[in-house]
Amino acid sequence: MSGCAQQGAAPWRSGRRGLAALPAFLLLAAGLVLLAQAAWIPAKAALAQVLLERAFARTLAEGVAVPPWPWADTVPVARIGFPRLGEHYVVLAGSSGQALAFGPGHVEGTPEAGEPGTAVYAAHRDTQFRSLGRLSIGDLIEVVRRDRISVRFRVTGKRVVRWDASGLDPAAPGRRLVLATCWPLDAVTPGPERLLVEADAVTEP
Amino acid sequence: MLSLPHSPLPHSPLACPAPGLTRNLLLGPLIALLLALVAGIAPARAQDSRAQDGSGTLLLRFEGGAPVEAPRLKADAAITVSGPTARATITQAFRNTTTEWVEGTYLFPLPEDAAVDTMKLVVGDRVIVADIREREAARRVYEAAKAEGKAAALTEQQRPNLFTNAVANIGPGETVLVQIEYQQPVRSSAGTYTLRLPTVAAPRYSPAPPAVTSVVERAPAADPVPDRETIAAPVLDPARHAPINPLTLTIALKAGFALGQVRSATHAIRVEDVSGNERRITLADGATAADRDFELTWTAAPGEAPSVGLFRERVAGAEAVLAVVTPPETASPAAAVPRDVVFVIDNSGSMGGASMRQAKAGLLIGLDRLGANDRFNVIRFDHSFDTLFPDLVAADAHHLARAKSFVAGLQASGGTEMLAPLRAALRDATPEETARLRQVVFLTDGAIGNEAQIFSAIATERGRSRLFMVGIGSAPNGYLMRHAAELGQGSFTQIDTPDQVTERMRALLVKLESPAVTDLTATFSEPGIDVTPARLPDLYRGEPLTLSARMGQARGTLTLTGRIGGQPWQTLLHLDAAQEGTGIGKLWARAKIAEAETARLTGGLSPEAADAAILRLALDHGLTTRLTSLVAVDATPRRPAGMRLASTELPLNLPAGWDFETVFGTQDEAPQLPPPPRQRRAAAPATQMAAAQAVALPQTATDFEIRAWLGALLLALGLLLSRRRLAA
Repeated sequence: MSGCAQQGAAPWRSGRRGLAALPAFLLLAAGLVLLAQAAWIPAKAALAQVLLERAFARTLAEGVAVPPWPWADTVPVARIGFPRLGEHYVVLAGSSGQALAFGPGHVEGTPEAGEPGTAVYAAHRDTQFRSLGRLSIGDLIEVVRRDRISVRFRVTGKRVVRWDASGLDPAAPGRRLVLATCWPLDAVTPGPERLLVEADAVTEP
Repeated sequence: MLSLPHSPLPHSPLACPAPGLTRNLLLGPLIALLLALVAGIAPARAQDSRAQDGSGTLLLRFEGGAPVEAPRLKADAAITVSGPTARATITQAFRNTTTEWVEGTYLFPLPEDAAVDTMKLVVGDRVIVADIREREAARRVYEAAKAEGKAAALTEQQRPNLFTNAVANIGPGETVLVQIEYQQPVRSSAGTYTLRLPTVAAPRYSPAPPAVTSVVERAPAADPVPDRETIAAPVLDPARHAPINPLTLTIALKAGFALGQVRSATHAIRVEDVSGNERRITLADGATAADRDFELTWTAAPGEAPSVGLFRERVAGAEAVLAVVTPPETASPAAAVPRDVVFVIDNSGSMGGASMRQAKAGLLIGLDRLGANDRFNVIRFDHSFDTLFPDLVAADAHHLARAKSFVAGLQASGGTEMLAPLRAALRDATPEETARLRQVVFLTDGAIGNEAQIFSAIATERGRSRLFMVGIGSAPNGYLMRHAAELGQGSFTQIDTPDQVTERMRALLVKLESPAVTDLTATFSEPGIDVTPARLPDLYRGEPLTLSARMGQARGTLTLTGRIGGQPWQTLLHLDAAQEGTGIGKLWARAKIAEAETARLTGGLSPEAADAAILRLALDHGLTTRLTSLVAVDATPRRPAGMRLASTELPLNLPAGWDFETVFGTQDEAPQLPPPPRQRRAAAPATQMAAAQAVALPQTATDFEIRAWLGALLLALGLLLSRRRLAA
């Protein structure tokens, strides 16, 4: 310590000690909060899927849209499965940030999967749709809609586009399904690029 | 790492900071870094969501930020050609992809001589057939049904070749079909038969209402285009959007004679032989973007071309007869009559791109064909106009060279003020020179809204001039062209594509140089026959005379007389030999209505008398006109009370070959709109349709990794700091 420090009087002692402890405390607290938040995101996505599965099962059974929890502002509309990966997720109506926090969203303005046109489902790359990286051409995708109709699609291709230049036409001929997530899959910051997995219906509803 | 630096001024006690404070100062950058990292996520998000709404979502937005997305439209045209007439069924599918109840309004063109008699609304498995009503009454019925939440459709005529369809109460995710049927005559000239189907309403220039201090003679006080709002629709910039409104097409061609060539200059087609007289035509690419007229032409097999066509149809206790007679061509044309030709070329913004090149090429061909004894002048116009020479000049090398360089230098831009240059072209300095032919060749796309003004000017000021309209571009205003040519006693030539310029201009020039068939009269042996046209036009080389009549029973004879190049000509038709035809009664009524509209414009009939005649014909024959509309209303309400109904106008393509920026100017407000998914081709039909705007994809990354890393880093720093404190 320099000579300056020795000029400090005794009454300063406790105050200085508290002041010096504050940054460490702040850093610790902020670190813990951030870690908790980080852990909450995948935890929420995983927990929500459990509730969504339950709500979707009831939707199928009762034939009416059942919100997954009382205050939910979205409803499950379909269940999408990747049989080769052994994964399935419940898809929500809409692709707002709130909906995507819980599960894949059915992008507004696109038809239902299996109807003529191009249906688009989007989900986070670091939760449900991390699997898109492991889907390969020829893989089957199963979609069970809330009207109990089941449609199977086969992956025909993958491409990377900018979010605002997808070239996707919801009214394009054919019955197609496109799954979208952020690209690159292992990037840390959000970016403008999206990975699209395109699939054609192999069975008509 | 946190060791204190030596004070730069150790002898000054004031300069000695407290160690704790120093540490905090050192922490400052760290906290700033932390803030920057947290904040750094936010701007990245904001940037990505600039075209997204408040909730950070996507998506389908329209230029100008319309609150509701327009329904999607697909159309199918099924046309059956039976000899001299064609019957078309246009099915428009309105698909509402939103979650709102929607009313869609769609502006669409039909052939200018179409007799629209049927409209059906298909909702689910119910088909509602529309009734013909007076325009105001139909509008009231529609508005009432719209308010009650019933599905309803209204077809209104805005111009004889421009209609609007309004469809109310399309449910979320629902598709509603509107089916329109019309009858149309098949046109022919010089042995080539033509069927046209316009597919897109080109944006039109509507001159502003006259200024208060108008010095124009007989200045009209009213707006020249009172309905300017209804004939405009949103237009997508092809540089920013892929084409929309896909159209499929099937034509059953039953020519009534052995067919030769069947071609389309505008679209790639597939032609299947059904029999010698019949073909089935479809688009080679399946679907096309509705951005240009479709044209089908066919000829008879050699030696099979009929010179006389006579058809009859029994309608409501009477018979309608259609006669199509092509006068013979004189073997050796008489000595060429010297001509005075005024060329008028439209260089307004709507002509930008391919149209301007076609017009220039056409005009240059016209200049080249001028003879030594001919005189000429050239006028160009946009919102202003220039006359190249003060008066007609001899077609010598010097003048032609000046004219060619003048034409070559033209640029397309500005508005389309057609009236003044038309009047200038019709102004005849030497009306007594009847030994010379005075011809006006007018090259334009006719993208204007003040047709009535133009027609009035032609009718009152044509004098001895003949007006030859040359339609340029992919979607010209056929109503203006054909009617102006009829009023101007000339002919109408359409040039769709650049490779038609030479062929079609030559055909026109042959007409200009050849003697016309004049002084035509038609005499029926039976009395009490209502015939249209009342006054027969002059005919040019290769053009047939088309005459329709309504009579108690088709019998007796029809005698046609006239003069071809000064030589008398006569032919006699026996009406009882007429073949059965379809839709001839409708075409007769449609021609009568057109005649009454013309008489109204040119003062032949008072507006009240003309309107009364039009209304009676329209209601008797169930035709859509300026005064009558088709309206269909579903019986049961469907939109739940309290749910709002959003109204939207469906966007249109810009006609192929048009230049968006020349027409609409550059738009600064939409630089962030997505680029088109696919390159648009002007020469070949685009088969891939895209949405009005491609789907924008939502943000699909979370920041949990960043948060985790940052959290761990801060935790580590905090731990380090407190350990140092303990150690100290």
